This record gives sequence, C-alpha cells and structure tokens, in this order.
Amino acid sequence: MKTLIIENIDPKKIGELMTVSRLFCDIPDIIALGEGQIPGLFGKAWQTDKTVAANLVSSVTAIIKQENYDVILMSVSTLGTGLAGPLSVALSAPVVTEVTFVHPDMVIERPVYGGKAIIKQKLESTPAILTIRRKYFETAKLEGTTESVLLDSIEQKVKLVAEKHEQTEGIPLEDADVIVSGGRGIGVSDNFTMLQHMADQFNGAVGASRGAVDEGWASPTKQIGQTGKIVAPSVYFAVGISGASQHLAGIANSKCVVAINKDEDANIFNRARFGIVCDYKKIVPVLTQAIMEDR
Amino acid sequence: MHIAVLAKVVPDYEVPSMDFELSNNRAHERFSRMLGLYDENAIETGIQLKGKTSSSLTIISYGLESDIQFLRKGVAMGADKLVLVKGTSDDAGIIAQNLKQAIDNLEDVDLILAGQQSADMDRGVVPGILAQMLGTAFIPQVGYIDYKNGDWTVSQMTATGQRELEFQGPGVLSITSIPENVPRIPAVRAIFAAKKKPVIKLNGIEQGKMPLQEISVEIPKIESVCEFIDAQDPNEAVKSLLTRLSEERYI
Amino acid sequence: MAARIPYWNINYGVIIDLLAIPVILIFLYGLYLQWQGIKKGRLRVIPSITSMFQGIGTFHPAAFFVKGILNAKIYRRPASGIAHGCLFWGMVTLFVGTNLVILNIVFGLPVFNGAFNRWFMAFLLDLAGLLVLIGVVFFLLRRLFMPERLKMPEARKGFVLVGSLLGFVIITGFVMEGARLSAGNLETGAFVGNFFASSIIGKANALQIHTMTWWVHGLLALFFIAYIPFSPLVHIILAPVNCGFADPSPGVKMGVMDFSAFDDEDAEELPALGADKLSDFTRKRFLDFSSCLWCGRCQEVCPAHNTEKPLSPKGVIVTMAQKLNNTEMDETVIDSMSMEAIFNCTTCAACMEVCPVSINQPKTIMRFRQNLVMEQGQIPELMGKAVSSLEQRSHPFFGTPSGAAEWRKDLEVPVFEPGKTQYLLWIGCSITYEQRAWNIGRAMVNILQKANVSFGILEDSRCTGDPAKQMGNEFLFAEIAQQNIEDFSSLGIQKIITMCPHCYNSFTRHYPKLGGEYEVIPHAAFIKMLIDEGKLNLDTKKTGGRITYHDPCYLGRRNGLYEDPRKVISCVGNLVEMSRNKNESFCCGGGGGNYWAEETGTRINQERAREALDTNADTIAVACPFCLLMLTDGVKKYTEDTRAFDIAEIVDKFLKDIPET
Ligand SMILES: Cc1cc2nc3c(=O)[nH]c(=O)nc-3n(C[C@H](O)[C@H](O)[C@H](O)COP(=O)(O)OP(=O)(O)OC[C@H]3O[C@@H](n4cnc5c(N)ncnc54)[C@H](O)[C@@H]3O)c2cc1C
Ligand code: SF4
Ligand code: SF4
Repeated sequence: MKTLIIENIDPKKIGELMTVSRLFCDIPDIIALGEGQIPGLFGKAWQTDKTVAANLVSSVTAIIKQENYDVILMSVSTLGTGLAGPLSVALSAPVVTEVTFVHPDMVIERPVYGGKAIIKQKLESTPAILTIRRKYFETAKLEGTTESVLLDSIEQKVKLVAEKHEQTEGIPLEDADVIVSGGRGIGVSDNFTMLQHMADQFNGAVGASRGAVDEGWASPTKQIGQTGKIVAPSVYFAVGISGASQHLAGIANSKCVVAINKDEDANIFNRARFGIVCDYKKIVPVLTQAIMEDR
Repeated sequence: MHIAVLAKVVPDYEVPSMDFELSNNRAHERFSRMLGLYDENAIETGIQLKGKTSSSLTIISYGLESDIQFLRKGVAMGADKLVLVKGTSDDAGIIAQNLKQAIDNLEDVDLILAGQQSADMDRGVVPGILAQMLGTAFIPQVGYIDYKNGDWTVSQMTATGQRELEFQGPGVLSITSIPENVPRIPAVRAIFAAKKKPVIKLNGIEQGKMPLQEISVEIPKIESVCEFIDAQDPNEAVKSLLTRLSEERYI
Repeated sequence: MAARIPYWNINYGVIIDLLAIPVILIFLYGLYLQWQGIKKGRLRVIPSITSMFQGIGTFHPAAFFVKGILNAKIYRRPASGIAHGCLFWGMVTLFVGTNLVILNIVFGLPVFNGAFNRWFMAFLLDLAGLLVLIGVVFFLLRRLFMPERLKMPEARKGFVLVGSLLGFVIITGFVMEGARLSAGNLETGAFVGNFFASSIIGKANALQIHTMTWWVHGLLALFFIAYIPFSPLVHIILAPVNCGFADPSPGVKMGVMDFSAFDDEDAEELPALGADKLSDFTRKRFLDFSSCLWCGRCQEVCPAHNTEKPLSPKGVIVTMAQKLNNTEMDETVIDSMSMEAIFNCTTCAACMEVCPVSINQPKTIMRFRQNLVMEQGQIPELMGKAVSSLEQRSHPFFGTPSGAAEWRKDLEVPVFEPGKTQYLLWIGCSITYEQRAWNIGRAMVNILQKANVSFGILEDSRCTGDPAKQMGNEFLFAEIAQQNIEDFSSLGIQKIITMCPHCYNSFTRHYPKLGGEYEVIPHAAFIKMLIDEGKLNLDTKKTGGRITYHDPCYLGRRNGLYEDPRKVISCVGNLVEMSRNKNESFCCGGGGGNYWAEETGTRINQERAREALDTNADTIAVACPFCLLMLTDGVKKYTEDTRAFDIAEIVDKFLKDIPET
C-alpha cells in the first residue's frame, strides 16, 4: 500500500513511523518539515521549512490526491494532531489518532478511557490517516538520506510569530515517562543523589513520598500523592516507600510500578507490577550502571 | 464577539484501573458522569477571554439530554447559554457534523474552543475535523489566547517549548491545561443563575460517519499480582527486571 | 464601742451620694453604647429566635450562672484563675459592703453593730479589699511580664489604667479606714485598717488624712464605676451575658442553610452566604466579639496555632472586636486574615471549650470559609479538588486507587433490606476509599455478625456530605444530605450505626434540620452496648497491653462521648491516658477538611503521635477513620511499627469464636 509519512525532521520520530510504515509498504514517501537533510531512504520526498499544520493542509491534500496514497502516517504532536482532522475531511478519509498497535487487514488499536481500555477498529477505506503514539513502535535505524523537492504553494492562514524552545531544569514530574521516587526508607538525605543518577539515566525525574519530604530529604515540590503531585509515568520506581494509600493516590495512573523495599509485606507490593525485596542500596547502583551500559 | 466552547460529558475519568468495567463496549453506566477534564480548561479559558474581550460565551455539547445537569456546571462558571445537540454517536465525523450544525445555527461565532481531547475517547480529532468543515484554521494544544486589533494571538504548547501564532477571523483551537486555566469553582449564586440561563436543544443528525468499523473494546489485562524478582544476586535481578520491563513495553 | 457614724469627719459628704446618680447614668450609657454596637449585627433568620431577646438567641440560665457568674472555666489555669477569683469575689463582697453602708445611711440599717460589724463590715471587707489588691497586683505584674497568649497577636490596651485605678481605690480605702481608726479606736476584725492605723498613720494628722482620702476614695471609686463600660472591665457585664446566650450543648453547632431563596424568582435581596464583613454576622457573634477578653487561652490550645500555622482563634475574634470598635461594618475582613489561616482551622472546638466567656470561635471562622467558597469560589487547591470530587463522584477522595466495593472484597456483607433489617451500618466515604480504613468496616461487620445483630449496608458507596460542610460548601452538603434523606426514607431506615464521628455528627446535628430524623449510634457506643449485654464473646484477660485512647474531636468535644470507648478498651487492655485527653484532647489534624491540605509548620498528627507514644502505649486506639489515617501517618515519624488502630479493629482481634456445642 502506498504510504506517506508526514513528519518534522527528527530521526527518532521518523524512525518510529518508518517501523509502522513497513507494515504497509516497503519504501514509504515522505513530506518532511524543517531544515536539514531527510534521514533515511524514501521513495519520493518533499520538504519545506514551514511547520504550522494549519498552513499545510491544502498543499498536503493536493499531494495525497495526486499520488493516491493509501496510508498517511504522522506521530502524535502538534503537527500530527493539527493535520489529522483537517486532512480527514479534505480527503473524506477515516482517521485514527494515538495508534498503539497495527494488526493485519487494517485493524488498528488505540487506547480509550485514559488507557483503561483498548479499542480495535478496522479502517474501511483508503486513504486512511493515522497518528502514532510515541514509544509504542521501535525506532528504525535510518540509513542514508533522501534528496527532496520543495513543497510549495503553502497557505498563510496562521502566522508563526515566535518559537521558543524551553530548556527546562530537568523534566517536570507530571510529564516524566520514568519516575524514581524515594521514601523514608532511603534513610539519609545524601542517597537521594543516587536516585537522581538513576533517573538521569532514564531521562526521568525524581519524586518523593511525604515520608522523605518530612525528613527534609526532598523538597515539597517533589512530593507525590494526595497532597502532592499526581503523576502518570510508564514506569514508577518506588524505592523505600511503604505504599500508603495517600501516596498511591498520586500514582494510580502509572502504567508500571516497580517496588524496591526490604519489607516483603509492604503495601506497595499490592500495587506494584514488579517487586524486588531487598535493601535498595544493593539494587539502585547496579540498576543505574546497567542502564548506562545499555545506552 | 461570540465565543463558543465545545464540551462533552463523559464517564468519570478517574475511576481506578482496577475498578474499571465495560458494558456494551463502553464505560459502565454505574460510573458518575461529569464534564471532561480538558473541556473544563477550555471553558475556563473561554471565560477569561470573555472578560478580556467583552464577548458572549456559548457552550455547545453533543450528547444526551441528561447531560445538561452536568453541563450546567460549565454554564455556572460563566457562560451565557448552552446548546445541546442530542445524539449518542461516538463517531468523530458524526460528532463534528452535529457540532457544525449548532455553530451554523448560532450564526455569529468568532472563535471556537475545545478541550485538547475528550476524557473518554481520547482522540483529540473532532475539533480539527470541525475546523475543516467550517473552512477555518485549526490549532491544537493552545495555552494562552489574546485578541489584539482584530488578530488572535495564541501560544501553542509543543513538546519542546512554545510557539506564538497569529491568525485572523474565526478559528478552532483545542485547549491544553496550563496553570492559568485551572477551572474556577462556581459560586453558589452562579450555580443558581445557571439554572435560569437558556438551553437550546437541537435534534442530532446521523451524517458524516467515518468509514471505520468498531471491532472490539477490551480492558487490557493488567497483572494485578506483583511479579517478585529474586534479589539474591543484584546483577541478575537488575537484568531480569530490565528484560521484563522492555518485554512488556514499559521502557 | 460606739457604732460608726455616717459622714463622720466629713462635710457635705452627701455630694458623693449625689454624684453617684450621674455615675450610674454614665455607666448605663456605656452599656447602652455597647448594645448599640451589638445591635448592628444581623438578626437570626430563624423566626422563633429572631423574636427572642432582641434576636440574640435563647437564654440559658444554668450556663449563665455556672459559666458566667461562677466563672467555672477560668480556674483551668490555677494562677490566673485564683487571682481572678480574688478580684471578682473580693469586689462582689466590697460591693455588698458599700451597699450596706448606703442602706445604713438611708434607712439606718444597723450594720455597724456587734458581731456583724466585727466579722462582716470590719474583717470580711478588709479581707476582700486585700484579696482585690492581691488580684490587682497579680494582674498588673502580669501586664508587665506578659505571657505569649496575652501578647500575641496583640495585647489588649486599657487594663493597666483600669487596674491601677482599682488599686488606688482600694489603697485609698485602706488609708481612709486606717486614719479613721487611728483618730478613734482600733476595731477588732479590721486587721488591715488596724495595721495602717498603728504603723503608718500617726494620730496627729489622722483627721486631715481621713478627710482627704475619704474624698479621693469616693471620687476615684465613682470614676472607676463610670469608666467600667468604656474599659476592658466591661466584661464583668458582657461575659455572663454571653455565657448565658451561648448554647451549652457541646460543639460548634453550625446549623444548616436554606437555599430556597435562591430558587425563588421574586426573592428580593439574597442574603450573603457566610460572612465577609462585620455586618454579615449576627448579634450573637457581635456579642462574642465584644465579650472577648483577649486572654488567648483559645490560641494556646489551638492545634493550628500550636504548629506554627497562621491561624489564631484569638486573632480572629480580636480582629473582629477591633472592627466592631471602629464600626467598620462593611469593609471586607477576609483580606486582613489570610485565606490560609481561615482554612487552617480543623474545627476541633478546643478553643471554644476553654474560652472562659463561651465564645464560639470556629463558627466565625467557618462563616469566612463559607463566604470564600460559596460567594467567591476561592478554596485551597487540594480542598478544591476534594470538593469537586465530592460533587462529581460523591466522595472527596480524588485520585483514590480503591474501587467502591473493594473494602469488602471476599467478605459477605448483608445489604439493608427494607422491613427486614434493623440497623443500617453506614460505611461512609473514608472507609470505602482509604485502604487503611477498609479494615474498620471489615472488623465492624465481623463484630455485628458475631453478635447476631440485624444489620445491612447500602449497596452503593456514599458520603454524608460532611467534608463539603467542613470546607465551607454548605450548598453541596445540603444537596448530598437531601439525597441521602430521600433514599433513607424510601428504604425505611430508622436506626444507623456509624463508624465515623463526622457522619455521626452530621446525622444527629444537621440531618434532622433537613427532615431526616434517625436513631444514630456511634460504633464505640454500640460495641460497648454489645459487651454490656454479653453479646460478644470477648477475651477479657487484658492481653491487649497498654492502650491509649485518642478522643476524636467530633465524638468527644463535639458530642460528649468520652467514656464508652474507654470502657471498651479497658475490657481488653490497660487504658493509659495521654496528657491531653477527653475534652482537652488535641486534634489529629484531619478535621475541617484539613485531611486534604498540605500543612505548613509542624504536622499536627506528628505532634499528637508523639504525645501518644510518650505514654509508652503499645497501641493507640481511635474511634474515627480520619484520626486513624492521620495517626497512622504521624506515628511513622517515630517508629516503623503500626501502632494506631480503630476500636473496632481492636475488639475484633479479641473476639473469640463461639464454641460449637
Ligand atoms: C492527610 C494525609 C495526606 C497525605 N498525603 C501524602 C502524599 O501526598 N504523599 C505521600 O507520599 N504521603 C502522604 N501521606 C503520608 C502517608 O500516609 C505515609 O505516611 C507516607 O507516604 C509514608 O512515607 P514512606 O512510604 O516514605 O515512609 P514509611 O511508611 O515509613 O515507609 C518506609 C519504607 O521503606 C522501607 N525501607 C526501609 N529501609 C529500606 C531499605 N534500606 N531498602 C529498601 N526499603 C527500605 C520500609 O520497609 C518501609 O516500607 C499523607 C498522609 C495523610 C494523613
Ligand atoms: S476549632 Fe480548633 S483549629 Fe479551629 S481555631 Fe479552634 S482550636 Fe484552632
Ligand atoms: S475568644 Fe475566648 S479564649 Fe479566646 S481570647 Fe477571647 S476570651 Fe480568650
């Protein structure tokens, strides 16, 4: 099936979409946005440095109609989301957003109800538009680059006045994909740096239970729970945390809780997906080292 | 000026995973219904904008007549009226068609706000579809909005920072949550006043269904029992933990 | 011995008597001004009360006498209590004595004769004067070395002046008496006068000194009396009045609000919800503000104030008193008080329990809270989330990982069946949604089953609405309560067992006013009854070890239930008391919606946990799910062991299975 990727020039995102595209075709085409070389090998390639979705709708529509694509792939981002709806109307095409799995026969999976359920839908006509949720598909290794032609006749419905890239101090807890949280079981303030190292390796953030905050080992802004932050990472490491319900109230939507606690009866194991009954000091450094080597 | 905010009443989005249940492929009806999370942010943003630009504000919803009681909370926050298009479809195309009908009906809408995504279907696609149907621009993930000399300036929250965008005339914006649009708590007076605000009910249409066939809705099996990893040898333990984590696609 | 002669050694003495007339008028005028201030307060909306005593409320003679006249509460602090007692009873005696003198002058009442003269007019009045003087000196010294509670946030001015004035009146009185005795003969019984006569005042100048001090004493005394209503001493009138008008039943007594006017199309002016300015308060509150002594006893026991939070109940009342004094009727006062302070109050009622003049501080604080929440839509973030959750999903435990029926997983619990079941076992929100509290419900179910009680629960999970009420959202409370009342009556529920004192308090205090009258029994009392009736086969070998009991504010201070839980505990273990117990119990910190607050300063629950652990108890017993949650957390600061348990859990542990026969 003829597949088109529409994506900013970002090897990771393009790599993930490349993986998805292989379920539909051998070599996809691409509309790449932004400056620089297009990483990876594509059939046809268009490029522009204009990145505001609203302005791209008509020119992208024209290309899709002209080339008769069956599948259009984008990732979930301001670009993908900005294009998905409008394109579906312009092309009278079905659209499925936040795709997490693709079955044969154009059957698509996506989460609903905040991930508490999964819906399977079959795309009944082409072209079909999919936006792909990040991190659900491997990032394909992109070899070489592709020469592109300029994507022209772009509209100016919306003017880009300024763009700011924020170098935030660490990742905010609410947005972190991995959180390493310490509790009263950490024992001394200094060992929180151990957790910080581990979180750094995951590109994640450090959190704390109120126990640890009360002891003054972590700042109150790190507190997770009923009276702290409510977080939803994919992996939540609870280190030396007993798992009081007020703490659990803050992590109810974490996908996977890994508990490291020396007490096998600790309540946290009732919520955890994986548990290690052990002194955390034996595990955390090894774990940190392992991830470091892995990367 | 006239601002419209799209809002949807959804089943409790905070039901703990362990307690979540389906009936007829949708969240069980035993769960309370309430305004969607981001929809409240959108209403709040709309109300602030209403204050800044002395506009009027209409909340538009597609759903059940019994949803009105929950939509009233939105009205109490500071809207002027409520339009409900009656219908039960979950199809993004049909929903957008119906919302368009409501907007056409209002005639003079200058700006349309919506929540970033509904808290049940989590698609975030309806506002984009609606925008294209109306022939206006669609900007997702908007935080701040301003109106200066006939131009809307908005800030879009991207994965890496912020963009400031400017456009003219009507547009559809989907609103994300920022510290400044935490929904206000309506005063009791406003709650009573909201009961007296006009509610326009329109009959829904079954048009524009997407060529998408629903096959199944399932609750993913979550292992509720903890998988203990033997900690005799820390190196082994770490290795098997990491393997299991990536097998299950958590990292 | 010759009897004392009126106006002896004095010319034109009658001037003093004549002056007494304007003095009394000034005194009355002062009181009238006080009343003018108090009268500016709103009338109560309840018609039966509006017509009563100028709308201030019902008068309670017993409270008036015990708290107002006998000042029963003041002796809790022995030193100032006794000093105050000296002053007060001394002045009462002197007042009686002075009146007797007047009666003597006017009607020739023979008071200066024989034993009566010796023991009453001489000895007792001298003693009274001395006591007053001791009291005055004590209080003046204390003004010099003020304790924290008097100083913070502000000390009342005017005490030194009026105190010194009184001191001078007494001293001139003694000097005058001494001079009189020195000029004539010493008198048996008049020991102070005799002392002045024999060792200070010489015979030579006695007559002149007598004349001089007679006038000074008389004029000072008159000035003192006229000055009373304009000085802090006005409390001698206001305090007993306030005590008399304070509802003597325990607790804050918030009442319920009627929102029907808001639905009424032609309602003219809608009343303000809660209070934001002085004029929003009722006359009773105005009386509170005017009666306050600024003594700070309330802030001394306040859990919020004790843990470095910005709230001081004294501060609140004093601020209002100043506004009243300056007649700042319509300025907003919330701003001058910080929203944080207003939400710090745990509604524990410790302040009103100690207040010597029966002021209801939490009620004033709650009125501010109601205004912030219901009129201004302002509430601290976490409480806001809890209230929204209560509104949206009928329980305040936002983010809870528990499902509604999880607490009774694998447990057979009967559902209430109309016409069949006798008691409703009310579960409430905390036991449903807080994992640590699940076990209270499970234990209670087990106890009731073992005792063969006919009981059932409601199928769905519910909340009484109390958290909303505590956080100032009366509107939401009323909605929830009305829904419950409706459903209860369709189920024919009459008897309810509660495990949460907040639910108990709501059912007994607030539901009746909304039309829901039930027989409600807190689980501690119910268990006690089952034990008494021999329905529980309890292991009473006291193997439970040392158990201390934390009085939940809503069961103890607010509802007077102190003994039943203690008796239950004593069946299975040895009860040891914390230093602050029963009506002096220190809050766990979770009341007033503060379960959903991030505290500043020391954590209240840790302070209370410390106190409990200091008793060396093995177990800390509570009878409230919120206290259980707060103390479970508080104890963690000091030990890894779980020490806090609900009374039902404790009893459940000592239940023996009935042997099969
Ligand atoms: C109203 C209220 C609100 C609250 N809000 C929050 C909130 O928002 N967030 C929150 O976190 N808490 C909150 N709490 C507190 C909560 O009840 C718990 O007390 C707190 O979470 C306990 O923290 P902890 O697990 O770190 O400490 P603990 O419960 O003391 O647990 C320490 C754990 O560490 C383990 N441990 C000890 N040493 C080691 C070691 N060397 N290696 C491995 N494990 C070890 C122990 O076995 C134990 O399980 C709240 C409490 C109340 C009452
Ligand atoms: S009720 Fe309790 S917390 Fe509130 S002011 Fe009085 S003593 Fe302080
Ligand atoms: S309110 Fe009562 S306890 Fe508090 S300062 Fe005033 S008189 Fe004293």
